[in-house]
Amino acid sequence: MNTIVCVKQVPDPEIPPAKFKIDPETKKVVPPPGVPPVISVYDERAVEAALRLKDKHKGKITVISVGAGKVSDVVRHALSMGADEGFVIEDGAFENLDSFGTATVLSKAIQKIGGYDLILCGRQAADWGAGQVGSILAEILGIPVVTFACGIEAVDKKLRVRRVVKDGFEILETPMPSLVTVSSEIGLPRLPAGMSLMLARKKQIPVWKPQDIGLDLSDLDKEKAHTEIIGLSIPTRKKECEIITGTTPAEAAIQLAEKLSQLF
Amino acid sequence: MATREVFWNISYPYVMYLLAALGVAYWIYSLYQRYQLWRIGRPDECTQEIGKRIRVFIQTLLTEILTHRKFLRDPFPGIMHFLIFWGWIILLLASAVDAFTYYANLHLVGTPYLWFSLIVDIGGLLVIIGMLMAVLRRYILKPERLNSVFDDGIITALILIILVTGYMVEGLRQAATELKTHPEWALWSPGGFVFAKAFEGMDEESLRFWHQWLWWFHALMTIGGFVYVGLVFSKFQHILVSPLNIFFRNLGPVGVPAPIDIEKAETLGVGEIKDFTWKQLLDLDACTNCGRCQDACPAWATGKPLSPRKVIQDLKVHMVKANKKQTHSSESVPTLVGEAPTEEEIWACTTCAACQETCPVYVEHLVKIIDLRRNLVLAHSKMPETAQLMLRNMQSRGHPWAGIQSLRLRGDWTSEIEVKVLSEGDRVKTLFWVGCTGALAERNVKATLSMAKVLKAVGIDFGVLGEAETCCGDPARRAGYEFQFQISAEQNIETFKNHQIQEIITMCPHCYHTLKNEYPKYGGAFKVIHYTQFLYDLIQQKKLNLSHALALNLTYQDPCYLGRYNHLYQEPRQVLQALPQIRLKEMERSRNRSFCCGGGGGHMWIEEQPGTTKINQMRLEDVLKTGADTVVTACPYCLQMFEESIEHKGMKETLKAKDLVELVEEAMEATRT
Amino acid sequence: MDGYQGVLVCGELAEGKLAPITIELLGIGRKLADELGEKVSLLLMGNPIGHLGQEAIAYGADQVFVAEDPLLEVYNSDAYTYLMADLCRKINPSIVLFGHTDMGCDLAPRLNGRLGGGLTMDCLTLSIDPTTKRLISTRPVFGGNAHATLMSKSARPQMATLRQKIVAPAERNDSRKGEIIPVEGKIDPSIIKMKVVERLKEEVEGVKLEDAEVIVSGGRGIGSAQNFKMLRELADLLGGAIGATRPACDEGWVPASLQIGQSGKVVSPKLYIAVALSGAMSHISGCLGSKVIVGINKDPEANIFNVARYGIVADYKEVLPALISKLKERLSK
Repeated sequence: MNTIVCVKQVPDPEIPPAKFKIDPETKKVVPPPGVPPVISVYDERAVEAALRLKDKHKGKITVISVGAGKVSDVVRHALSMGADEGFVIEDGAFENLDSFGTATVLSKAIQKIGGYDLILCGRQAADWGAGQVGSILAEILGIPVVTFACGIEAVDKKLRVRRVVKDGFEILETPMPSLVTVSSEIGLPRLPAGMSLMLARKKQIPVWKPQDIGLDLSDLDKEKAHTEIIGLSIPTRKKECEIITGTTPAEAAIQLAEKLSQLF
Repeated sequence: MATREVFWNISYPYVMYLLAALGVAYWIYSLYQRYQLWRIGRPDECTQEIGKRIRVFIQTLLTEILTHRKFLRDPFPGIMHFLIFWGWIILLLASAVDAFTYYANLHLVGTPYLWFSLIVDIGGLLVIIGMLMAVLRRYILKPERLNSVFDDGIITALILIILVTGYMVEGLRQAATELKTHPEWALWSPGGFVFAKAFEGMDEESLRFWHQWLWWFHALMTIGGFVYVGLVFSKFQHILVSPLNIFFRNLGPVGVPAPIDIEKAETLGVGEIKDFTWKQLLDLDACTNCGRCQDACPAWATGKPLSPRKVIQDLKVHMVKANKKQTHSSESVPTLVGEAPTEEEIWACTTCAACQETCPVYVEHLVKIIDLRRNLVLAHSKMPETAQLMLRNMQSRGHPWAGIQSLRLRGDWTSEIEVKVLSEGDRVKTLFWVGCTGALAERNVKATLSMAKVLKAVGIDFGVLGEAETCCGDPARRAGYEFQFQISAEQNIETFKNHQIQEIITMCPHCYHTLKNEYPKYGGAFKVIHYTQFLYDLIQQKKLNLSHALALNLTYQDPCYLGRYNHLYQEPRQVLQALPQIRLKEMERSRNRSFCCGGGGGHMWIEEQPGTTKINQMRLEDVLKTGADTVVTACPYCLQMFEESIEHKGMKETLKAKDLVELVEEAMEATRT
Repeated sequence: MDGYQGVLVCGELAEGKLAPITIELLGIGRKLADELGEKVSLLLMGNPIGHLGQEAIAYGADQVFVAEDPLLEVYNSDAYTYLMADLCRKINPSIVLFGHTDMGCDLAPRLNGRLGGGLTMDCLTLSIDPTTKRLISTRPVFGGNAHATLMSKSARPQMATLRQKIVAPAERNDSRKGEIIPVEGKIDPSIIKMKVVERLKEEVEGVKLEDAEVIVSGGRGIGSAQNFKMLRELADLLGGAIGATRPACDEGWVPASLQIGQSGKVVSPKLYIAVALSGAMSHISGCLGSKVIVGINKDPEANIFNVARYGIVADYKEVLPALISKLKERLSK
């Protein structure tokens, strides 16, 4: 079975909180120097889900990523995990794409690749975390979508998807092709370790421009975007700790109890 | 003239030669078979430089084997082996002399004969004393490290029987001959004399009968011994296999695994016994199961399942079994990992090299364990969760510290002191290589800053890479994540070349070892200096003014990768001795017998098996015994490990862990403000 | 915008009643609608559910659309998307609100894909821009490190999912009047491509660590498994769960499943009481999302006080008994 996985490059979410800086003017995050971007965690798990299916049913995994700058590293990461082929779709116009814009670009690329049984996305991105691209993409392509998957099986040309819900799991059956968004409960992605790690280093990753996928940039016109970020701020977090003192520890405890009971 | 008749009372002695020839032939055949078994392994580089090997082997023979230098570190078994070893040498030489003089018609007579007799008897006596010590130790004292198998008993009994019957044969001959004619001659064969006295009352016919009978028994036991040793490939083979192993041992730096050539590699690491090289398989047979490595192993000492002895022995058993299955049936070869040794064992190793350091026959455990890890990681993606986290960070972030574990970014420390941070196109001769822990762990940054201050104070022109520095690759390599290591090495070498760096001063012994001993195979040969060497040189050149008295009671922890891996024992101690008003008290286990802090081999990040003693806590007890108020080390892992164990013990007030360079900085007037 | 009017709330049911989030949405929906001077409608999907219409009106809905169909009995993404898209095309709401729930998270993005109006997920606040009359929302981004404010552009409907329990529920007023409008037309079963074949409930004892609003967490300083009982008592009192640092789990005092931090669980309760733990970053990273962190530690230098809101420098054994008895007294009031 052939799977297409959509991955996104994000600023490393594990930078120390104190190093997290934003530029309120441009409404952008300013990544600290020397910290390379990484593949979005849920997308990495989507790659893992694809690999698990491939381990069982063979087939081909194609990985794509959309970006304004150089995003081939995340595709390379997926290749080093064991994906077969990767493409990036790059253009300066892709800066600040909203979910609809991203899904539009992806849909064009996917239509160019064709021949898929399954499309996988992360449940949301680790940066802006809009959590919509997968569903919108499925609507554009006109295929069913199952969200928050924690397990995918292929049975009789159908997909059985185990899905995370609040109080447990649901198992859904959906035809091929479908789009499935993957949640972290699927488990840790494999460490890119085997031969694929070395082979991926040297692999050429074709870069597609909008015209290569038949995308009319006016479709992404800023005015046609649905939402606009008008502000970005770091929530103020009281850094000073109020040390509660008392003549005895018990007395301090009583004062603390007073303060805490106001929280409820 | 004093002499004796060779083959006295023995008819058809050539029958003995015939049988002996058959026995020895069988034994040689068994060695050949074993050689074929080793050959299932891959080729090994150790067949190169034979000339050098011969030189080194003779040197080892003279300085180590004949003197038993390594053996005698452990007095009881050391003396035991010394006696048996020299006793056998005497007996062997004596037999050779005996045969030579007999057939060359140069019979030993008179005083030389008497001395000869005495020396032979002493030789035998040495072996008997040694063997009795062995029996005492193996069957009565039963130290934990000895794992007795059936073969041990057979060999022990066989040797004792052969020796005692030898004396008895001699005694019977003496009782029938010398004792009557020249009783003073008999005294020169004291072993035989004891029996001669006991047999004195017997009539000549019985003496002759028993002599003949026992002579053949003695001869057959000896010949049978050869057959037995060949048949079961007894550990007695070590008299030949172990020297062979010493001859072919790794002559390069300790614990350096071979690179994987991705163009040629059929398997990644060792998944089956045949993936080892033939030398690694020879290693398995060279091991005599003596348990010295087990005694030295920090993992074993703290209750982990790993014993280096057991790993080697289990691999040996597996080698024989796997080979039998392969040649004699269609059954599939049993899996290597799991059957011998288990994953838990493989991951418990801190690569401290104490096992190799103590092994008298140069068995090389480290690279085998890394080869096994390689297969688990590269081919099967199997590793402890904490290892996976660390390796994942190395792969995506270029260092083993998860971003959020550290409040710092790689280059942060450079904003706390004025240093030359190299940017694109900058060239510098000397690079100060900080290492991940030195740049990212709060505690270690203090030591890094101390070093930078010292470097500045002595006026060295140096640069640092700041945020552009990445991991040297050590934790990845030790954890078997070879490809990531290779990527790191290639990238770093390129960086060094871009800045035209000639000399690298490292903070961390692990970086030091990796850069110095492992990068050359990837095209990066630079002059690499550990900072303790650098400070030592400064002291020699009287360029360090250490005048501020510290008044501390110190003890020094030898970092494994500085000491056992690179033999830097003296330099750090000399630096410490140069500090004013300090008292250095060594721990009982120090220098090459030093005990690991628990942080090597990736274990700075890989969790120690729950429910076992922490290695760093065990080592802290050694520190406490010295009564020191400060434990000094020269490795960021050791520093972290001591900080943690001191905190665990709640001793922060009374015991400090320091990096050596911090003390140097404190003692320097020039850096004081 | 021309033709688009009113706030439509996507209703959810819980055990046959209006779900709490729906009542919260009706509250905020009412406020937004009042600012626009427009109506609030509620869509209820299920089978049968007609009886809930009146209750929804009492909570502030002007109109209640009731869609009853056996195919709507349980949530099905295909059926619900179809029905709701159909309704939106008919009534052209200006704003559509969902709860940030299992259903909302699945349905809203799909609907956005179908209708193309723009959607903001996991909103913490919702308001109307006074000049443009457009919907403004705030949501956490970058794992909570930052908050982004978004404004809709010209496309409609403007959609949002609202985080649960952050706005006050609507007040019930049974005298309120409104319209109950049945949604006409049956759902064609052929549009349903996916079906739920099995539902598995996960049984959890007590409060799940991830769901707990209060977590009392202990470190190595606790000293023994026995001493953890004191922490449990405090947690039970506050209806919370207990957690631990890695060293405490290593010692075997509590099961490893309670480990919070880098290699354990990441939690963000309202209140996190850190007892006798130094606050190693690897642990802190697992609880930084907590609203209020309280540190109790003997060591005034302990890192926990760098992230805590309140701190007590003392032996926890002297603090907890007094804290527990005082809280008991306050909470019983």
